[in-house]
Amino acid sequence: MPRFLREYFNRNGVGLGSVMLGLVLFWTIGLIILPQLSMLDFSFRPNLPPPEIGGPKDVYTLENYKYLIFGPEGGSQDYNAVDLKVFYRTLIAAILVTLFNLMLCYPIAYYLAQTKGNHIRILALMLIIPYWINEILRAFALRIIFGETGVLNNLLVGAGVFDTPFDFIRNDIALYAGLGYAYILLMIFPIYNVIESLDRNQIEAARDMGASWTRIHRRVVIPYAKPGISSGCTMVFMLSAGALAAPQILGGPSSLWFTQLIYQQFNDNSDWPQGAAYAVVLLVTCILLVLALMRVFKVNMGDIGK
Amino acid sequence: MKNFSLMRISIWVYLALFFAYLLGPLVIMSVTAFNSPGFPRAAPWECLTFEWFSALFQDERILNGIKNSVLVGIGTVILSVAMGLAGALMLTQIWPKLRATYYTIIIAPILVPGVVIGISTLVFWDRVNRMLGLDADSFLSSGLFLTVIGQSTFIASYCMLVLVARLQRYDNALTEAALDLGASHAQTFRKVLLPFMRPAIASAAVLAFLASFENYNTTTFTFGEYPTLTIELAQKVRYGITPAISALAFIIVLLTVFAALFNEAKIRRQELVAAARKTATVEELETGKLRLPGFLSSNTAAVLLVVVAMATIAVVGTATVYSPAQCIADVKETKRLETELRIQELLQRRADEAARRAAEEGEQSDQAPATDATPKPSNDSGFGNVFNPGTLQDGGTETPEEEPENSGSGGVFDPGNLQSN
Repeated sequence: MPRFLREYFNRNGVGLGSVMLGLVLFWTIGLIILPQLSMLDFSFRPNLPPPEIGGPKDVYTLENYKYLIFGPEGGSQDYNAVDLKVFYRTLIAAILVTLFNLMLCYPIAYYLAQTKGNHIRILALMLIIPYWINEILRAFALRIIFGETGVLNNLLVGAGVFDTPFDFIRNDIALYAGLGYAYILLMIFPIYNVIESLDRNQIEAARDMGASWTRIHRRVVIPYAKPGISSGCTMVFMLSAGALAAPQILGGPSSLWFTQLIYQQFNDNSDWPQGAAYAVVLLVTCILLVLALMRVFKVNMGDIGK
Repeated sequence: MKNFSLMRISIWVYLALFFAYLLGPLVIMSVTAFNSPGFPRAAPWECLTFEWFSALFQDERILNGIKNSVLVGIGTVILSVAMGLAGALMLTQIWPKLRATYYTIIIAPILVPGVVIGISTLVFWDRVNRMLGLDADSFLSSGLFLTVIGQSTFIASYCMLVLVARLQRYDNALTEAALDLGASHAQTFRKVLLPFMRPAIASAAVLAFLASFENYNTTTFTFGEYPTLTIELAQKVRYGITPAISALAFIIVLLTVFAALFNEAKIRRQELVAAARKTATVEELETGKLRLPGFLSSNTAAVLLVVVAMATIAVVGTATVYSPAQCIADVKETKRLETELRIQELLQRRADEAARRAAEEGEQSDQAPATDATPKPSNDSGFGNVFNPGTLQDGGTETPEEEPENSGSGGVFDPGNLQSN
């Protein structure tokens, strides 16, 4: 038995130590690493009926990835314009949703963290309540509001802003509002946690030195809150790029989210390897994007989730 | 100072807008649960009704979904709290060089899209199942098992974060002291560490249950024969929405508000009791004559809790005796009259049109095509494009009987009803 393992069992006892080790190994290897590798492996295989799996036809192929870029073989187009456009649109929209959320939430997080008083607790409570409610129901609530005969249209037509009801769903406004709505809390909390630990004296010192309000935020608060901001942005970006419920309920009939393509490959086309390949592409692209941005803004992975 | 107050006002306006965005949709959705139209809408208000609640409780699929959700939730809570605790304990004593890698691995599931977790779980266990030579309907490929496993993958990370925060304040000397005094490792764990961790374990369990209950992205790939409530809701919402869903949402909102207020009231109460003890004299404490503040005094949350409870009881009481039938009938009647009025107008306009056309045709019979260019009366009738010009040029008055069906007012009116007019 290697030394570190013996030390480990000395410290925790044999029974407890093995239970703990077993759980951790099951989680990290059995639930996290192996399934991801298995999905990666699967994405390089052809779509075969069950009896042929493991047979002579079950060889590695790049077919599924080619499909995303070039479309069906012998297709009329050079590139798979539809799917690529959906992919591109999903990433851009996720970035925009993240930025929108950041701008919306930073002032709130700052206010909550830097103000003392009883009402802050009530505000925090009001912030959390919507997040105890089902994601589907939240999307449903927005659909009631943005529908053609919804509250917003009644209001706008009534006020004379529009003559005819505006189709918020077809124009994807409902979708963006829904995605922004879904992840507000994930943006506020990390920023709040960091700003709360910022010493108020620093802000007051800056103000005494004559720094303007914008300058205080740019030079004092934002640099300090950077880990929180990047943690919030990462979570919101990953979750909105990977969102499925909001696009299904609030998305227009003609516009798709990339996760919906994956869903279709799995459930409608029963082409699991193709769906796995799309999922790998989504995952890898998102991770690379996040890592690149973290490098640009000089944040560490360890700051995420704090 | 003027600048300062301007700033204050803008902060309050911003807060108001923000919370309107956050809570407005929930309020409107709750209101629609009590309005009678079949499509959930808050305005125009028609009749107060509770029928959507009874519709909800008669829905087999929803009830079945709730049952499955609870099953999955229990499994997920047990598995993910256990794994989260083990993961957190391991984090405190893992070899420092491995620490960063280990942390990245166990935190990663939070960031991986739920869709990807669902797919990888499905693919991986399908393969394990095949390798073990089991049938397609074995335990390893049942929806219940896959959903619990898939959800626990990332919910355990949430639990781990909650537990690590508490574990950081744990003094390891306590464990050592217990061991020195002759306790076994299991005893130390059960009698020292576990009691210390209990509050964090409780909040991790609540968090895990809520996260499992509302999960959609992962579950949608793994649920198999066990559609959870979220899955059922998503299917309903995608293929047509009814106020029964609003009713369900309202119940969930109410339960949430209850839980939140209860928790808040309890915390505030503890604070007040602690404060009262602090200011009390020794004599008061010893004789047990300490006067504790009343449950409702200076405790806003408790007051609100009582108010909400009263309101709920009042509403439920009303619901059992209230019947909206009369109101619904009135609204129907009003709508019928409105529609009749419109039809009358239309008929009138058509008669005029026909008369005019007859006159025109009488004057110049070779300019017949010009009638195509006559303004279409349907455009301003409020009926949309339901009528194409062709039907109008037939000019006959035979068509009106069929109109109500196209009139956009839905199936409320049956044609026979109108023919009698």
